[in-house]
Amino acid sequence: MTTTTKVFEYTPGANLPPGDDPLHGELMTLNMGPQHPATHGVLRIVVTLDGERIVAIDPVVGYLHRGKEKSCETLGWHKFFPHTDRLDYVQPLMNNIGYALAIEKLAGIEVPPRAQVVRVLLMELSRVMAHLIYVASQSIDLGAVALFFYAFRQRELAYDIVDAYTGHRMNNTYVRIGGVYADVDEQVSAMAARFVEEFPLALDEFEKLLTRNRIWCDRNRDIGVIPRELAIAMSLTGPALRGSGVEWDLRRAMPYSGYESYDFDVPVGSVGDCYDRYLVRMQEMRESIKIVRQALERLQTVKGDVLAEDRRFVLPPKDKVHGSMEELIFQFKVVTDLRLPRGEAYHGIESSKGELGFFIASDGTAKPLRCHVRAPGLMNIQALPRMAEGRLFSDMVSLIGSMDFVMGEVDR
Amino acid sequence: MGIVQRKDLSLAERLYLPEVVRGLSITFRKMFEKPMTRQYPEEPLPKTEVTRGQPRLVVKDDGNVACVSCGMCEAACPAYAITIDGGETERPIEREPVRFEIDMLRCILCGFCEEACPKDAIFMSDELELADSSRGALVYDLEMLKRPKAALQKRIDYVYRLNQRWRKSSSTS
Repeated sequence: MTTTTKVFEYTPGANLPPGDDPLHGELMTLNMGPQHPATHGVLRIVVTLDGERIVAIDPVVGYLHRGKEKSCETLGWHKFFPHTDRLDYVQPLMNNIGYALAIEKLAGIEVPPRAQVVRVLLMELSRVMAHLIYVASQSIDLGAVALFFYAFRQRELAYDIVDAYTGHRMNNTYVRIGGVYADVDEQVSAMAARFVEEFPLALDEFEKLLTRNRIWCDRNRDIGVIPRELAIAMSLTGPALRGSGVEWDLRRAMPYSGYESYDFDVPVGSVGDCYDRYLVRMQEMRESIKIVRQALERLQTVKGDVLAEDRRFVLPPKDKVHGSMEELIFQFKVVTDLRLPRGEAYHGIESSKGELGFFIASDGTAKPLRCHVRAPGLMNIQALPRMAEGRLFSDMVSLIGSMDFVMGEVDR
Repeated sequence: MGIVQRKDLSLAERLYLPEVVRGLSITFRKMFEKPMTRQYPEEPLPKTEVTRGQPRLVVKDDGNVACVSCGMCEAACPAYAITIDGGETERPIEREPVRFEIDMLRCILCGFCEEACPKDAIFMSDELELADSSRGALVYDLEMLKRPKAALQKRIDYVYRLNQRWRKSSSTS
């Protein structure tokens, strides 16, 4: 197999129309962020302007760097779980599962079928929650304030389900190596079933307010167009890639947690502008609801444990610890000295932003050798300069919003 | 694969005024919906046994803490919030904590201490409010962490229910 490299010619300012601006040619450098409310956290963008037109932009990341990858090396495998919550904090359970899957791949742990169904349920709920944040923030940035509240209202309903299941609204930490901490009981699945029934109606309402709205179309259509080839060359993933017409979804391409057995559609766009990415995300929420519905049905039939029985990585049940010396030893071993086999593993999952990958390397001791997070947001930010060039400065907000990154994950 | 549909706007939609009326009809209807705002401090949030609040130490019926200061919760804590100094005691369990401190400003309420404890001595309570005027006051010591077992019973039962797994005999023992 041979690989070819395609070089993309890029001269900043080459696509700039001269216009009739009297100030044309007089460049101004402007700092947007890191405390700008429209930059979704602490992204700083150095914008070079020619009048109202953007000549070049330079995104500066790193203002939220907390050294998550390095802290994994001192914390150990299990104690890193709460830290993965805080990467992309609008979908904590998704990050938990991505990290757990990487560990399970390295250790060769078989996750019980019921735990896989629960994980799919949690992942799709997280995707809906994260996409609702996108709709809410994009619409409030572009002036539709009412929709922000409607979307957050729906998000709160989804958070109520997660709250009833995990006991926390955010930063849940409920996924463990080899499964999930608790089973989904009747109350939680009833809440989820109600949400599945009611949420598509709310989604219809959002679409009624936005999709055919002239202001929304004017500010999103043909703005930030990423051609198909460029999207692949920039290693974009997730809705940003699918908006450009590339059908690439890890749930389809490299299935995990039993995604191959669920019936869902992968929506793709045709132009690759902000509007396509919006449509793709809206459709993805509907597909997620479809998957949640199937997962809830499966919970009725698939019974069993939600944690793998593996004394090397999973804590023994509480009552056994009191009665058996061996179980007590396992309890101490798992808490203080959890070792993964020597080797390395990478596992990517399709998060709401794109491919969220965890690369872990172990030298066989309790201390991790390396944990690397492949954050989809970081790759998506790379495409911003190409998208912004030649556009009006006011388009900056819709560009940033449509790439939908969370700085907690980008800077780590 | 399904390509998302994008249609051009019709004349009525481009004129904008009919659309304003349609949009307003949606927002107007929202006025009569039941608000889901919770008036938080006056109206406390619902607390169940699932709620993971701040960790508390179980005081057994004989008045002593169940903790034997083995240091498992200290080792399991990802936020380094727990500090334990153990000492000897005349009681049959031989060891008890002399100092047991949880820095509530560091605690992230993850529940790893509860999971790790081999003596059922620490459990997540449903106490969530945490405010004081100094940092020092939020480092809770042994006396502030003690709770009678009856107060935590709901959570203890819940954790035991979760641990109803692997009913078949252990493969390794």
